[in-house]
Amino acid sequence: MSEIVVYTARMIRTMNPSMPTATAVAVRDDQIIEVGTLETLQPWLSQHPHRIDDRFADQVLMPGFIDPHLHPTLGALLLCCHFITAMEWKLPDRTCPPARTHEEYIEKLTEIHTGLSDPDEPLITWGFHKIWHGKIDRETLNAVSSTRPIIVWQRSFHEIILNDAAIDWMKLDREELERHPQIELSSGRFYETGLAVATNRMNPYLFEPTRYKNGLELVKKAIHHGGHTTIGELAYPLMNDQVEWYLLNETMERDDVPFRMQIVPRGALRGTWEGTADEEVARVNDYKTRSQHRLQFGNGVKLFTDGGFFAELMQMQEPGFIDGHHGEWLMAPEMFETLARAFWNDGKRIHVHCTGDLGVELALDTLEKLQFERPRVNHRFTIEHFGVSTPEQARRIADLGALVSANIYYLHELGEAYWLNSIGYERASQMARLGTLARHNVTTALHSDFTMAPALPLNSAWVAVNRIAESGQVLGSEERISLDAAMRAITIDAAYVIGMENEVGSIRAGKKADFTVLEADPWETPVESLKDIPIWGTVFEGQVFPIDQ
Amino acid sequence: MMGRIPVTVISGYLGAGKTTLINNLLNGNHGRRIAVLVNDFGSVNIDAALIESEGEDAISLANGCVCCSITDDLGTALQAQADRPAPPELVVLEASGVADPARIACHAGSWPGFELDAVITLVDVETISARLTDKFVGQLVRSQIEAGDLVGLTKTDLVPEKHLSAVYGMLEKISPHARLLHASEGSIDPLLLVGLGAASEVNQRSKETSETAHLYTAVWKPDAPLRKVEVERRLERLPETIHRVKGFFIDADTGLQMLVQKVGKRCTLTPHKEINPSGLVLIGVGGRSEVEAGVNILSLAAS
Repeated sequence: MSEIVVYTARMIRTMNPSMPTATAVAVRDDQIIEVGTLETLQPWLSQHPHRIDDRFADQVLMPGFIDPHLHPTLGALLLCCHFITAMEWKLPDRTCPPARTHEEYIEKLTEIHTGLSDPDEPLITWGFHKIWHGKIDRETLNAVSSTRPIIVWQRSFHEIILNDAAIDWMKLDREELERHPQIELSSGRFYETGLAVATNRMNPYLFEPTRYKNGLELVKKAIHHGGHTTIGELAYPLMNDQVEWYLLNETMERDDVPFRMQIVPRGALRGTWEGTADEEVARVNDYKTRSQHRLQFGNGVKLFTDGGFFAELMQMQEPGFIDGHHGEWLMAPEMFETLARAFWNDGKRIHVHCTGDLGVELALDTLEKLQFERPRVNHRFTIEHFGVSTPEQARRIADLGALVSANIYYLHELGEAYWLNSIGYERASQMARLGTLARHNVTTALHSDFTMAPALPLNSAWVAVNRIAESGQVLGSEERISLDAAMRAITIDAAYVIGMENEVGSIRAGKKADFTVLEADPWETPVESLKDIPIWGTVFEGQVFPIDQ
Repeated sequence: MMGRIPVTVISGYLGAGKTTLINNLLNGNHGRRIAVLVNDFGSVNIDAALIESEGEDAISLANGCVCCSITDDLGTALQAQADRPAPPELVVLEASGVADPARIACHAGSWPGFELDAVITLVDVETISARLTDKFVGQLVRSQIEAGDLVGLTKTDLVPEKHLSAVYGMLEKISPHARLLHASEGSIDPLLLVGLGAASEVNQRSKETSETAHLYTAVWKPDAPLRKVEVERRLERLPETIHRVKGFFIDADTGLQMLVQKVGKRCTLTPHKEINPSGLVLIGVGGRSEVEAGVNILSLAAS
């Protein structure tokens, strides 16, 4: 049996309410043996070989952070792009300083352009936002370069701006672009279905294997740098099981990877549906035999109700959107119900993507029907994302025994934009109503849905506690949650949502030795600065993984 | 640009009869080289004798048609058709049951190399009133009806006449002047569904006036150039039983030949580079007298 290693720390925040703080934790191999103080650990230490490791004497240990909903495969695409953003982005391989004005944007873009050695390499940049960067169009980009393809991806991914070289590079017929109602050739703007025309031409480049694998390496680092030791991949496969499984195995199932990934399969491979519900249940159950060390399939399954929140395609109850447009269903409601019933009766933990309050309503109506037909306790039916909801729905979530995994970052990034342009102040300021959930004792996790939000649990917790929107003002102060609740939402409650609470999520005897090592104690840090606490590194299953500076 | 491939979008909620319609089209004899793009490949049912080859995501038919699965991305599926050595004359696209057809029409009809022919929405008369009041799909089903250039009513043989007139009333409220078709047993005459093909077919058709089953065709041959605004005005006034108009005339103001394509409420007039004999073919369902009335209305454009 291996030697016990005792880590002492300035403070250990266990997230176990029975013993919330400690100063020493004993680890053997991948497991926590006991937590407490050097004195209380003595019965173990006096009988077994051990050593004391005090390298964390100045740091604070927390349970390894958990993001229960993140998409590494999507992240891989984004991290290969050049970031020019209004906010500072700390990435594993670079820190992107903020560019807050038009001039700074152009300056940064020019710098990237002149820094590229291959004169023909397309320059793909992400992060443009007109509120900060003003007017960026075809001519502005032509002025930066008339020969290099420049592709500007708007921050929320729903618009792209091209220079003439990029239009030529994509081999697009200008006459055909001219007549497209969602392409403005004069300004180089492609949006919605017009955007699809551009991305169709970019995909072979974006998914080129070397580039894509490099992206996955960056995602691994980003997950580590965020302080995660467990993540949930919440909709597998993204497109192609064979290719993705091969790539995930190659990149993730390795000894140098400091996290595990619970993979939650899609309940149907596409929004449109082939096959029967029984076949889908069998397919989902089949994946389980593939579980390995870091890549694990649990008991979860993913279903969808309404459309994307960033795309404003969430389904809204009356009075709907200010401009009168309507959201969309990702699955027909009948199909959703049929699949939910099949997975419910098979004893699955069902995670439902819901973004608008009508999407939440469909999920809850269905859950109520299923509870009537075949009552289950401890079912962990989870509302994922939780963009717009009503207070009554929050109460009903509690009554039906459901859980929530929320993308709280919506409030920070979209709160003001949706207030002004989409659904008005009342509903926008109450998006992701975590305060009401807390008042109804609903177990709630926070997630990034990376790339929808940065994969930084402390940043998500910061939004949940402060509800600070993009401009700095507080939106919906009644929906703020306590620091305790926010920290639970990235540790033990996140573990509960993905059914892993007996293995991870808190520091107690018998759990995996997963720690996030912080340079400051969140409980001694002003809540406005929570997101700025530096992360020293992590411990994953007893192995120390510092973040190299 | 010349030679864009027309796309006919088949819309309708789950159970409206899209699959039956598509199976009928694939098995039918219409003489066109059509590519049918479907969501649910498993439900496509083609007479084995007609199948030339069958792959994982595509079936080729002996008559030159293909049926392909859309799989993940509509644009990729369309592009694959445009890139074929011999592209199809027409793409028939099955929209998913929860798709907003207006969005699909914009996506497919604006894709480089394609243009929208029509949106045809199917409505199951048995369930439509329940669908329209459903809190989750009511709005969606409404938008599908609104977007339909032609609205095909299915399962009409399964409901009493009284029920049917109530459905007419409902549809009229949602989409005034909706062009309603009976599609009993999931079948719409291919001539209405996919219209007339290339100019040669229009020319051929315009030599005769014909009558098949419940479909009436009439032809009007203007003998002089016409003013475009006048033609547009007359086209708008055609009886609602005339569902398709296609053909050519010479624009008196520009001297250019114009291609007229009208499907239900949708009407487009575009300059056409190849010169064809002038003539407009009208296809309708009301009766011989109604298509002939249509010809009379159009002929006033010449006066």
